[in-house]
Amino acid sequence: MLGTLSLLFSLSLRNIVRYRRRNFFLFAAIAIAVGGTTLSNSLIRGWQVDMLETAVSGLSGHIKMQAPGFADDPSLQHAFSAGTSITLNPSLPTVGFAKRINLPAVISSERETRGVAIIGIDPANEGISFYRDFQIAGETLTGAEDGRLLIGNALAETLQTTVGRRVVTIVEGADGKSLERGYRIAGVFDAPIEWSENMLVFTGLEALQGALGTQQLADPITELSVVLQSDEDRPPAIEQLARQHPQLVVTDWRQMQPQIAEMVDLVDATMVIWFFLIMSALTFGLVNTLIATVMQRTQELGMLRALGMNKQLLLIQVVMECVGIMIVGVVAGLLLGVVLVFGLGDGIDLSAFSESVEAFGMSTLLKPVLALEDLLLFGGLSVLVGLFASFFPARRALKISPLMAMNR
Amino acid sequence: MTDSQTQSTPVVRCQNVQRVYQQESVPVYALRGASLAIEAGEFVSLAGPSGSGKSTLLNVIGGLDGFDAGEITVGGTNLGALNAAELSEMRLNKVGFVFQAYNLIPVLSARENVEFILQLQGVPGQERQERANIALQSLGLGDLGDRRPGELSGGQQQRVAIARAIVTDPVLLLADEPTANLDSKTTTELLEVLRQLNQQQGMTIVTATHDPIVMGYTSRQVVMMDGEIHQDSASAA
Repeated sequence: MLGTLSLLFSLSLRNIVRYRRRNFFLFAAIAIAVGGTTLSNSLIRGWQVDMLETAVSGLSGHIKMQAPGFADDPSLQHAFSAGTSITLNPSLPTVGFAKRINLPAVISSERETRGVAIIGIDPANEGISFYRDFQIAGETLTGAEDGRLLIGNALAETLQTTVGRRVVTIVEGADGKSLERGYRIAGVFDAPIEWSENMLVFTGLEALQGALGTQQLADPITELSVVLQSDEDRPPAIEQLARQHPQLVVTDWRQMQPQIAEMVDLVDATMVIWFFLIMSALTFGLVNTLIATVMQRTQELGMLRALGMNKQLLLIQVVMECVGIMIVGVVAGLLLGVVLVFGLGDGIDLSAFSESVEAFGMSTLLKPVLALEDLLLFGGLSVLVGLFASFFPARRALKISPLMAMNR
Repeated sequence: MTDSQTQSTPVVRCQNVQRVYQQESVPVYALRGASLAIEAGEFVSLAGPSGSGKSTLLNVIGGLDGFDAGEITVGGTNLGALNAAELSEMRLNKVGFVFQAYNLIPVLSARENVEFILQLQGVPGQERQERANIALQSLGLGDLGDRRPGELSGGQQQRVAIARAIVTDPVLLLADEPTANLDSKTTTELLEVLRQLNQQQGMTIVTATHDPIVMGYTSRQVVMMDGEIHQDSASAA
């Protein structure tokens, strides 16, 4: 049987070469479809990765731990100790942790007042967040004890203030009373996501703890963000942290940003739907051409039957030819797709649509992402489509009588 | 099978064979009770005008077409009892075919065309090559084994087709107008080949033909008319 299959394989390959002109166009159609799908899927995947990174590199991280009640009443009344230890299995590697105080506040300049979130940070730990990407005019915060303020570029414009000027914040203190405090602006940051420029102001964690007054907890924080090396580790990591700290609420970015989570999920479905739309259109052309190929070779296939080739072997031969054509086209298409993706270089600049793309949780630079799993999945699915398409010409071939060999 | 049995059992026996085609619900009788017995080692021509049923008889003997009534045995096998898969098996192992249009596989070389049928039979590679070479050499094609059909003349292609047909040592060689596409010189050469096969190897050959030259080479001439055996030189003798 192996020898017969080898014969049929050899025969199929030679038949593919035999009709090289027609097959060239078939290969080209398949390659363009697969290459185009690879490119579009890499952009969609890039969009998904960007949304995920944007979501995680915000202040949430993959996982955020807060005291119970903080979500409903974000105040220092619902703080927990900065001494809370984080221990995860080595199988769940982390990028880092960041401990913060994150409270709603009002900020005023001489001319304007706005509502913001004041965030006390230790800059040394903020490599896990988008803080690392800030372009800062003026000076950055020097450490957790730095009592100056970093505000966003957009907020500075709104408040009509700048580096070195003073602003006043009002925030609920440890005793529940409004606490007013003046800050000098150390720097103005330019962030990849514009809402953060409007809504967030940063100061040193220890400085903010001191400013908020005497507290029950010695070293209070309101949130602890954890960034993992892989989003796939998130569910077991949540489970472990929740077990270790039953007194805290452990949530992940999907719970904190459900709209983004749904869009990230939608991307996978979008890719599959897009793939099948393209492949459906291709399949019609493929089936049509393959049936024409079989009909053109009626006498030859009839001769094979006349010589004693049984229907199963004839079926295998036709399927091998169809799948062979598909495999060549798919491989060429995947290579084409890879070339196109690399041709895009650093990605597509969407800054002209910054407001719109931020609404989708994206940054303004869309970088295509080539995932090996995607290439293998869609390459494999394409070959399955070829297998499906081969059913129709194969069925036609099986109807060919050995009498066709006698045609003159 | 003993020699006496071989001599007494015809290679082909057709008894009262009928074949009816439906043309727009009108029955057309291609064979009307044809009966024929062909002994081992005979070289038989089936002749007759177009529509006489000679090709149909050749086809049903070869298991390429079914029949509606009667009985056909080939090499002792009752064809009426075989399903499609068993008929394929029978064609593969018992019958060699030579077609008017040569019907070689264009993407295979002459040697590979001859080996092809052996490969379908599951013959091992080394033996396959040896038998294919012997068959090609016996037909004077020893040097042309690597050429593809498109690189051979019509006569050479038909010789390759004969080599393919005999390489399996079939009990019966069926040839459908084998010389119709050849010039007279090549026709004569090919008929000599068939005669040698018949006389030297004892190959039983049945050929459908219009050509009186072909009929002249055969040891027995069967003339058909309107789906019936009209004349049989064996009966006349």
